[in-house]
Amino acid sequence: MAIETLVLGAGQEVGKSCVVVNINGKRIMFDCGMHMGVSDHRRYPNFSLISPTGDFDTALSCIIITHLYCINTLFLRFHYFLIIKISHSLILYSYIFFFGIICDSHLDHLGALVYFTEVCGFHGPIYMTYPTKALAPLMLEDYRKVLVERRGEEEQFNSDHIAECMKKVIAVDLRQTIQVDKDLQIRAYYAGHFTLFEYLTLILKVLGAAMFHAKVGDSEMVYTGDYNMTPDRHLGAAQIDRLRLDLLITESTYGTTIRDSKYAREREFLDAVHKCVSAGGKVLIPTFGLGRAQELCILMDDYWERMNLKVPIYFSAGLTKQANVYYKMLINWTSQKIKDSYPTNNAFDFKNVCKYERSVLDTPGPCVLFASPGMISGGLSLEVFKRWAPFENTLVALPGYCLPGTVGHVLMSKPPKIELDPNTKIDVRCQVHQLAFSPHTDSKGIMDLIKFLSPKHVILVHGEKPKMVSLKEKIHSEMGIPCYHPANNETVSVPSTVYVKAQASDAFMERCLKPNFKLHKCSSQELSIKTLTDKNIVPELQVINEKAVFIVEDKSKKLKVVHNDEVLVMLGEKKTED
Amino acid sequence: MGVLSAIQPFELHHHHTASTTSPLKGDYYQYLAKFKCGDERKEAADQSMKTYQNNTPESIRLISMQTFTSMMNEILNPSTPKSTVSSIFKTLIHSLLHSPESHHSQILKLITDLSSHHPSLAQLALDSLQSMLPQLTDPPSQLTIEYLDALVNISERPVEVDDSLFTSICLAASFPVRLWMVRNSGCRVMVRPKLLYPVLMGMTKEPYPCVREESLEALVRLGECAVFEEVSLVKGCYERGVQLLSDNEDCVRISAVRVVALWGLMLASFNVDMKTYWSNEVFAMLCSVVRDMNMKVRVEVFNGLGKMEIVSKELLMQSLSKRVLVLDQSPTEQFVLLASNVAGALVHGVEDEFFEVRKSVCQSLRALTVLSVEFAHAALNLLMDVLNDYKVEVRFQALETMHHMAINHCLELQENYMHKFLDVLEDNSSEVRFSARKIVRLMKLRNHLLFKSTMDVLLKNLDSYPQDEADIFSVLSHLGRNHKQFVDLIANEIADEVTASFEGNREFNSARMAALLVLSISAPFLNADVGPIPPVIFSFAATFLSRICCAFSDVMNRDTLLEYLIQKSSSMVQPEVNISNGEGQNPLAKDDVQNVAGNEMIHSEITINNGEGQLPLSKYNVQNVALEMKPPNDVGQHKQPVHDSVVLTYINYILVKLPNIWPKVQSYSANEVLCSLRHWKEELTSLTFDSSAPADASAFALLYLKIIKLVVEVWDHLVRKTEVVSGTVELEDKLEKLDRRAKELMNRFVGFSAEEEISVLELILLTYTLRLCRAEICSRNFIFKRMTIIYLRTESFLKLRSDVASGFVAELGNLIRESSNGGASCSSLAFDNCLKLFSPKRLMIPEGIRHRRAELSIPNNCPDYPLPFAPGLTASIPCDITIHNISSNCRAWVRMCINDGFTQHVYLDLQSFEVSGEVRKISYAVPYYRTPEVDSFNLKVCIGLESLFENVTPVQAHGGPKCELVLLCEEKIVYLSRVL
Repeated sequence: MAIETLVLGAGQEVGKSCVVVNINGKRIMFDCGMHMGVSDHRRYPNFSLISPTGDFDTALSCIIITHLYCINTLFLRFHYFLIIKISHSLILYSYIFFFGIICDSHLDHLGALVYFTEVCGFHGPIYMTYPTKALAPLMLEDYRKVLVERRGEEEQFNSDHIAECMKKVIAVDLRQTIQVDKDLQIRAYYAGHFTLFEYLTLILKVLGAAMFHAKVGDSEMVYTGDYNMTPDRHLGAAQIDRLRLDLLITESTYGTTIRDSKYAREREFLDAVHKCVSAGGKVLIPTFGLGRAQELCILMDDYWERMNLKVPIYFSAGLTKQANVYYKMLINWTSQKIKDSYPTNNAFDFKNVCKYERSVLDTPGPCVLFASPGMISGGLSLEVFKRWAPFENTLVALPGYCLPGTVGHVLMSKPPKIELDPNTKIDVRCQVHQLAFSPHTDSKGIMDLIKFLSPKHVILVHGEKPKMVSLKEKIHSEMGIPCYHPANNETVSVPSTVYVKAQASDAFMERCLKPNFKLHKCSSQELSIKTLTDKNIVPELQVINEKAVFIVEDKSKKLKVVHNDEVLVMLGEKKTED
Repeated sequence: MGVLSAIQPFELHHHHTASTTSPLKGDYYQYLAKFKCGDERKEAADQSMKTYQNNTPESIRLISMQTFTSMMNEILNPSTPKSTVSSIFKTLIHSLLHSPESHHSQILKLITDLSSHHPSLAQLALDSLQSMLPQLTDPPSQLTIEYLDALVNISERPVEVDDSLFTSICLAASFPVRLWMVRNSGCRVMVRPKLLYPVLMGMTKEPYPCVREESLEALVRLGECAVFEEVSLVKGCYERGVQLLSDNEDCVRISAVRVVALWGLMLASFNVDMKTYWSNEVFAMLCSVVRDMNMKVRVEVFNGLGKMEIVSKELLMQSLSKRVLVLDQSPTEQFVLLASNVAGALVHGVEDEFFEVRKSVCQSLRALTVLSVEFAHAALNLLMDVLNDYKVEVRFQALETMHHMAINHCLELQENYMHKFLDVLEDNSSEVRFSARKIVRLMKLRNHLLFKSTMDVLLKNLDSYPQDEADIFSVLSHLGRNHKQFVDLIANEIADEVTASFEGNREFNSARMAALLVLSISAPFLNADVGPIPPVIFSFAATFLSRICCAFSDVMNRDTLLEYLIQKSSSMVQPEVNISNGEGQNPLAKDDVQNVAGNEMIHSEITINNGEGQLPLSKYNVQNVALEMKPPNDVGQHKQPVHDSVVLTYINYILVKLPNIWPKVQSYSANEVLCSLRHWKEELTSLTFDSSAPADASAFALLYLKIIKLVVEVWDHLVRKTEVVSGTVELEDKLEKLDRRAKELMNRFVGFSAEEEISVLELILLTYTLRLCRAEICSRNFIFKRMTIIYLRTESFLKLRSDVASGFVAELGNLIRESSNGGASCSSLAFDNCLKLFSPKRLMIPEGIRHRRAELSIPNNCPDYPLPFAPGLTASIPCDITIHNISSNCRAWVRMCINDGFTQHVYLDLQSFEVSGEVRKISYAVPYYRTPEVDSFNLKVCIGLESLFENVTPVQAHGGPKCELVLLCEEKIVYLSRVL
């Protein structure tokens, strides 16, 4: 028997995750993403490889979606317009670049799901975690609109399709074992969180990423989706049991990167902010409403609490409220810290963070302001920037990458002046601090997971080919586990564990219940002799392992396990028979 | 009882059949015992036991649950008679032999409880259980274990089990039996290590995870107590541990980590040559499981890492970097093998999601940083990051680790860390702050700027966390001692600030002043060289003595500190002499000028505020000069007056401060003022004196402060009139007290100069004014009369000195003149206006001030030894009286009060006293005439002086003092009892 893995997407590439695994006759599709970099048929996984006839219901047992990426589309539109306003010469470039990134990253775990279920016609069960299920329709709908309205593409599926598709989805909780059918059982493990591109703060960290463990008969495998091995202020590290796995399919986006501790960066950030505030300056942190902002808020709120700082922190992003509602609802999917503090005070109810009001802008004295959007591309953050930048005691902390063409990007080179348009020039005397938070699992995390699970085989997906190759070498040399990195539409077959049923004799069973060792007592005489001969090893009692087990095949071709004491008896019987 | 006797025949007849009678009868007696008491109860209980004992084996089967319960009650009841207990015991042992096995566990439980409640029976129980044990071991079953368990529970020491029993239990088919044995072996059950080891090793291969876990735990116990001579055994165990590190069960992995850590270290310590090699192996092995998914495993790993005794530097450094390090020199073979396992282990730990793990990492760093200095430096970076952790426990642990590093001289805080570290000093958890300060104490700062910023943070701390004051002072004193050179640099700044504050209005921020003083006086602590610190600082410091002495409690107590301060401050007299000798204008050395500057400022200020020319200054200087003139080699005599002068100076400083607080009183911040008053009072009461002059001065100052305090309190009451209603009684009480105190101030001190007299009089006028401000006061006229007398006196003094009356006195005078008919017409409002004009004068302690006081003792009298008396006859009370500073023309009285209020006065003829200077002594049997018709009574005796000033109302009609008495001592109670 074997486990056959058909990689439909994310084979030696990033995006469009879709892997179909055939374990002992059961076929499971893990993730169903689409590739936005191309607009032709290659966008979707080649579903025809699953079933040439299009009869997916019999070909597939179920679909499992590990998680989704979501995008703040409101911001997306906003951003788009503001770029135009800021600098005419950059419009086109920004536009393309912007969507280029989206194309690469977006919805690569469930983008094609609706297409597959509604257009191609799959009626089997779809599994995803509660948070994913809660957020998926919103994202899909937003995304559909972006595709159709902004890019003017042909509609592949409509709103009704999304609703129909969602009806087929079954939500699962962490560590809940689900018996899909008689043989197949699956279980979700907490995978931490994951974002694809670190420089894209607009992609939100999403709760609810899970690793899925699937078991058919005696064969077991884990599909990781995207995961994180290093905890974060608001999301924990992946957690999984030690399992006896035949196959581990893991993502390998950061197959060669090793990341340093982010504590040092947090420290620098806090120091910079504290220094600025205690000197009476104002701090501007341009961020988006979700994800990173929450993390920074938790960080700052803690620090404020600890240091007894009274300087106000303002938060302007309107979306935070909505996001916090989700976080609160799904507290189980967050980090230990938040779970710890939840009964007494919700970590998202920040003590020192208050709501931004317009009057804050002109209030003298130190303050910290989280303003959207990030990258200072417009809106409030640009407005505040214009006002505060000319002062030397102001600090602008950029929590992430800034796209070229935005003020944030220009600011990183610390110019004395920024020209917004021919009429507006801003004197920049403020200090600039750049935070490079990188919340992704790295090659060490991948290696650690593999080491912990010690599977018999590893398949790498969702990564660039050179990185995969180097990671594969490493896994092979350090752990001696065979490793594969199939390209799209390739199939890898690995042997699976099959247990053979055999009868056990009563004597054997009895022996099994007892400890399988025997104490060998040395007589005092022996002891003295031994002392003479070998001075080093003279335990009075020695443990002799008696593990002699014989497997015999009887006349009816059935296997039987017997104890070695019985073998002699059986042999004797045979002789008499003969 | 009636009910019970009625039950008996009925019950027994009812259950008639032979087989059931006996146990039921036993039960019945048991039941009976519950209701009866005393002997009857004992009898009933005994009877029930006997009945049980006589039972046949068959019938015992019927001992019901209820019987067990009632036995339990008997056992737990401490009043159960001994004989009953022992018969219960016999019954239990008996039934163990005869009852079915299903009952045994309950019976054993009862025996165990019985032994623990009645230790005298424990040994007997042990013996009988041990004798039964051999029958049960073939084959070992659950029952065997229950017997052993009972044995172990009864015996306080570990029970020894012989080899064959142990092996047979360990090889038993039933796994709970094996589990029990493994769990208890090595702690409650003693087995020879030689036997235990192979058995446990075998057990680690069990299919049951809990047995594997327990056997690993037992191996840990074994490793802790037993000594193994063969390397192979230790190595074998270590390797087994390593194998089980990858067990599928979490609990097994936790124990395996422990085994690896412990036995690995044993292995390493076997051979000195191989020690590093094996230690490295163990270190790497533990590091390799650092990313286990189970939190407890990770905690255990770091606990294990914290026990390492030696690890090569390269590996330690590797554990701080996730990337495999590229070494300068060619790495050892071992390093190449282990590096990837070790990589970033500690970093992962610090980043862990669970605070337990992070805490454990910090703890393990404690041991690891000692191993290599270079590693300690690198690890500090990690610890600095941890200081941002959101959990107090973790931050605290990180600081404790840093403290440990500091003790071991491997903590070097670079400048860029210092900033972060100083932030921690302001942490909102007091635990963390204290821990951080512990480190500051040990710190050796590199440059002046760091020192300055550390100092600033500590001073800021005083503001934000006043509750930490004592600790902060202590830290500052250490800081000063360790960095004399830096303190010297800022000594002048400090001196300026302190001096300015002492003369100005800012001494309310006295915590800061005290802190600065602590810092500067601690600098020359360990060497005699004072450096640029002005000596006046030391005398300033003396005024904060009780507050700051805790800062030096590690090296000296309060008295030695005072001596130290006096010694150091005495050097300030030197330049003073120069000035006083008329050479003050001569050019002086630069340092001297600075020193003098500090002193002069104070003096001149005092002078100006007295508005009285040169007098106080010269007085003060003369005093100092006089001290200095004494031969310097005569240390014993020299020291004494210096002490006195310091005390005097100190008292004066306090008094000088008083007028400054007045504006605060008027601006209604009474609490603040009260606080500093209280503080000064404490300072004063804490002084010790070697001679009488400062004692008198301090008594005066203390009384003065008390009056001011009362004035402030009353003022506060009067100003905030709304609260007066609720506090009327209290206010009246305070006014009464104020009156008394003012009188004391007038009468008990002599030796005022005219000017001081005026100040005192003014204060007394103030007290009266305050009383009159209360509209509803009853004895208005009386008080007004008294006030008039005092006013006239003040006026006469003022005339004598041809001075101008202060605004307050003048206004009061107007008021008095206007109201011809005795003040009743004056509204309290008018007095209110007067009050607003009042401001206290700057008062210097007059040099010649004398405190009139008396000491009274009644020898051989206490409640147990009362003096004899016969009712109706005069009793004599023997008194030893010492009076101070009272001239013979004063009229002193002994006042004796009995509880019913009757008072008798006896005149003291001062001429008959034995005179020695200002002290007069006499032993005098005071007669008491009115002895009552009782068995015993108490007499309150004290000595009073006739008030010289006020003669408003005659107090006693005849035979007594003509004027009001001012008490000179505490009232003494004399106990008298009737002569039988």
